[in-house]
Amino acid sequence: MKVLVVTSGVPFIRGGAEILADNLCQALSAAGHAAELISIPFKHYPPSRIPDHILACRLLDLTETCGVRIDRVIGLKFPAYLIPHPNKVIWLLHQHRTAYELWNQPIAEDLIHYPDGPAVREAIRQADRELIPEAKAVYAQCQNVANRLRRYSGIDAEPLYSPPAHVGLFYNRTAGDYFFFPSRVTGVKRQSLVIEALARCRERTLVRFAGEPDSPRELAACVEAIRQLKVEDRVEWLGLVSEERKRDLYANCLGVIFPPVDEDYGYVTLEAMLSSKPVITCSDSGGPLEFVVDGQTGLVADSTPESLARAMDALWAGRRGAAAMGEAGWARYADLKISWEHVVETLL
Amino acid sequence: MPNKHGLRILIATVRVPFVNGGAEIHAEGLCRALREAGHQAEIIAIPFKWYPPERILDQMLACRLLDLSETVGVAVDRLIGLKFPAYLIPHPRKVIWLLHQHRQAYDLWKHPLDDLDRYPNGDEVRAAIVRADTELIPQALHVFANSRNVAGRLEKFCGVQAAPLYHPPRDATLFHTLPAEDFLYFPSRINPLKRQDLVIEALAQTRLPVKVYFSGSADEATFERKCAALAQKHGCANRVQWLGTVSEEKKRDLYARTLGVLFPPIDEDYGYITLEAMLAQKPVITCADSGGPLEFVIERQTGIVAEPTPEALAAAMDNLWADRERARQWGEAGRQRYDSLHIDWGHVVEKLLA
Amino acid sequence: MKINWFSPLPPARSGIAQNFAIQLLPTLARHHEIVLWTDQDQTAPEVQSMARVVHYAPADPPWREINNGTISIYHLGNQADLHGGIWQMSLRQPGIVVLHDLRMHDFFFMFWVHYRKDRDSYLAALERWYGGEGRRAGEAFCRGGISPESMAQEFPLTREATRGALGVVTHSNPALAGLKETPECPVTVLEHPFAAAEESRYRQWLAARSAAPRPPYRLVVFGYLSRNRRLEVVLEALAGIPARQQFRLDVCGQLWDEGHIRAQIERLGLGSLVKLLGFLPESLVEQKLSTADLAINLRYPSMGEASGSQLQFWNYGLPTLVTRTGWYASLPEDAVAFVRPDNEIEDIQSHLRVFLADPGAFRAMGERGRQSLENNDPEKYVDAMTQFAAMALRRSPLVPALALAGRIGNDLSAWLHPAASAYLLDRASQEIVTIWPGKTGGQDE
Repeated sequence: MKVLVVTSGVPFIRGGAEILADNLCQALSAAGHAAELISIPFKHYPPSRIPDHILACRLLDLTETCGVRIDRVIGLKFPAYLIPHPNKVIWLLHQHRTAYELWNQPIAEDLIHYPDGPAVREAIRQADRELIPEAKAVYAQCQNVANRLRRYSGIDAEPLYSPPAHVGLFYNRTAGDYFFFPSRVTGVKRQSLVIEALARCRERTLVRFAGEPDSPRELAACVEAIRQLKVEDRVEWLGLVSEERKRDLYANCLGVIFPPVDEDYGYVTLEAMLSSKPVITCSDSGGPLEFVVDGQTGLVADSTPESLARAMDALWAGRRGAAAMGEAGWARYADLKISWEHVVETLL
Repeated sequence: MPNKHGLRILIATVRVPFVNGGAEIHAEGLCRALREAGHQAEIIAIPFKWYPPERILDQMLACRLLDLSETVGVAVDRLIGLKFPAYLIPHPRKVIWLLHQHRQAYDLWKHPLDDLDRYPNGDEVRAAIVRADTELIPQALHVFANSRNVAGRLEKFCGVQAAPLYHPPRDATLFHTLPAEDFLYFPSRINPLKRQDLVIEALAQTRLPVKVYFSGSADEATFERKCAALAQKHGCANRVQWLGTVSEEKKRDLYARTLGVLFPPIDEDYGYITLEAMLAQKPVITCADSGGPLEFVIERQTGIVAEPTPEALAAAMDNLWADRERARQWGEAGRQRYDSLHIDWGHVVEKLLA
Repeated sequence: MKINWFSPLPPARSGIAQNFAIQLLPTLARHHEIVLWTDQDQTAPEVQSMARVVHYAPADPPWREINNGTISIYHLGNQADLHGGIWQMSLRQPGIVVLHDLRMHDFFFMFWVHYRKDRDSYLAALERWYGGEGRRAGEAFCRGGISPESMAQEFPLTREATRGALGVVTHSNPALAGLKETPECPVTVLEHPFAAAEESRYRQWLAARSAAPRPPYRLVVFGYLSRNRRLEVVLEALAGIPARQQFRLDVCGQLWDEGHIRAQIERLGLGSLVKLLGFLPESLVEQKLSTADLAINLRYPSMGEASGSQLQFWNYGLPTLVTRTGWYASLPEDAVAFVRPDNEIEDIQSHLRVFLADPGAFRAMGERGRQSLENNDPEKYVDAMTQFAAMALRRSPLVPALALAGRIGNDLSAWLHPAASAYLLDRASQEIVTIWPGKTGGQDE
């Protein structure tokens, strides 16, 4: 089959969604199909221009190319998943979150700051409600995303999990003296919460952060917080690391900390499990909660610095328990049968 | 970490899904060159389907609706537009480096190979394309063109000036030369505009036992079959080899070993093949109506410019075949000409970002 | 619902602040969470006890806070100093516009030309809706060549006042019917809300009224007395009847030209009959109205506004003389006494004579007015407003959709060949309407 994977992207930013899109294309090719990725640039501000981008997507024609039919289009993100096609399947990674559950969420809210924010929010919701059902089938990155789609748009979607990149290359080594937090540095991932937790730890916990900030402002805010809380010696900023280095950091850590706010999915959780490491997450973290079993494969803390600090201390002080949780995490991953073959089969 | 030393540059081009041609290579080459010069660069490729004609209007509007002026609050310093209709995307600091306009509305209008004029609204859409190019291209900070040929068309049809800006073919540094063997080489996508059929007709009329190797994939199976049948019909099938798609390495090897390169397309925008031949120090046979190659091939110094007839082309092929030493000299001269023209990415980046 | 309420508030000298807001807010606050947004320097303590009052600067509104609300409701009227900021807000965030005056030319002239010295914007507004003719009329008006009444009649600028509104509320059916233009969104007519005093209190007023010796009968004129309140005509009429000594006239309110009225009173020899009492504080209003016998509430020309003060007169069971125009023309025949605009003096004198002949008939008229206040129950208003707001909210996607269509039109006109423009404009509109369907205008059911 000739398959196009369509997504929306912000130029110069590459995150989990971009990685997933690439992996999907590779998996489709591996299964013998011709697959290409189309990424439509999306600038979401000012809000008044969002309808422009929606309309731009609606005006594109992906039905065929040079007389050859394009058999299937797989839409991943807003507004690219609104591009029309008679044989479209949506694998929802994202709706436009600040029009939904992040509308008035202090860390991540956006539309709410504009006078036309409410009207554009309704325009986005209406577009989703009207147009998502055009797809032949709708899947969601995880249960969290499916729940939101049902709640806000009244549309049903089945969760369809994807493996992280290089799924076979993760490994486990003896736990070293650090926690690992790999992620884009931005408000929703809550590096700031971890920094505050560090100041409240009883143990001399250390966290290694890997990942690029979305904007200079994000990093500056964290650096300032570290300075004010005087935890410079408990933090290492590794910036963007190679995939190989990242796997090594996973392998040698004591545990992974991943407490984002209402994350849609969270490869980090799965990568940790593949590395047999326990995961510390928060009760409002969303996606990770579909995988982390509190007390068995990791710890679910409240989203307060104190609670997070307690969890970090618990793993730091109880190494054997941490290792056991890591093993349990690995076993759980195997049980969940997350594979690209299954994804390709489902989407086609 | 964002690059503090360079500019943030987006390259706007189009793509036709599942077709990877010269334009993709161009964009990728530019992107790499910008990054090597210390800038952040990314390619924005808008999917383009040009039929039925009203789709073209839809996609022109779609491009006008996009906003690439900044990302996450940081300005995009330049938008470099390469192809229609992506170069219509608005931006306050746009530079256009025209690979070509939508040729079916211009030099290919009413050409047998064109399809736009066969639709009832073809003329309307043609007029709209011309008007849009005429109004919007000049809004860019600078307008460059791939070649004088492309610049000439822009001036002729739209009255807009563009400066030619040449760029190297992919892996320019990897081309090399070897003593010439007994074949002429015609590497190119196989389609009527490249005129492989003309070469076969010419081959039928050579006095000497000229051999031609064709490499490259066929855009349409029918034309390829037509060429093969033509060779059969003229009885020169034994002097022709269809190599199909070859690896880049193999292609360069063929360039290195060939006696001379055949490249007689009709009104080519630019023509990497000419440059690749020059890099490999080989003479080029082209035609008087071939467009781009004429900016590089100098008659009887770096190759031959023949009339686009089988007879003239046959004579040119015989000419090369007969005098190997002269062919070698022309090839060397071709390399010198290439070097004299500043065809390098550093120069391109400098001009585009001025 | 959490409602952002943009309105003049006491102590601002406006019927909307003093009558409308005070009448409605207690009931409104019982049903919804209200935030009263104001750009006034002061608000009366009385209002602050009804709902949360938050100050904002129209130049830099706190959108984050405002967007905590579900919908914004904007109250517009002709006083530019009170409504200017509110109108500006209504442009930036579509909401419900409550038009207390349907004809808004006065507002726009004062807003642009008088306060902002920006004649260009005033003329541009006229041109936007009425073309070259509107612009020329505006220029003539600035030169003093056309009357304000005439401008309000021909170029009401109602649509300018309601640009981008999700829905419009008015309080007068006849006034709406008399307009030659309709806002580009759903419009609903609600009865002006009025919380009538309790029966027991009303009985006290009736007792107070009959306790006082009669004649002389007490006539009363109330409110913000601009020229269209016809005070000059009332004085002429009173001076012209032989039995004038049987009446006393109290003029309670801010006069547009006190000197002029005083001179007229003197010229007509009415000095012993007419008192100019100025703006009465709340405490004296009750005393004055409960002992009055006949209210004179003329308006000509009318800007379409419903009269909160008329409802106040009925609250006190006062019979009233009203001009047969605009909203007043729709009042029940048996609850008011009509005065024809082209026969004012004659009609006033005729009513006064009839009054003297049969005061009881007029008292009964007042009583019937009091009973009709059922229609103005604030509960009914709040209920109707709530439903209208819910409907209007469903239309909110249309505003950015229409803005997009406008932007496309502008961009295309710069580069699209006319031969292709019909196709592409249609294609874009069709797509926009498919994604964001909805009627743009018309009166709702």
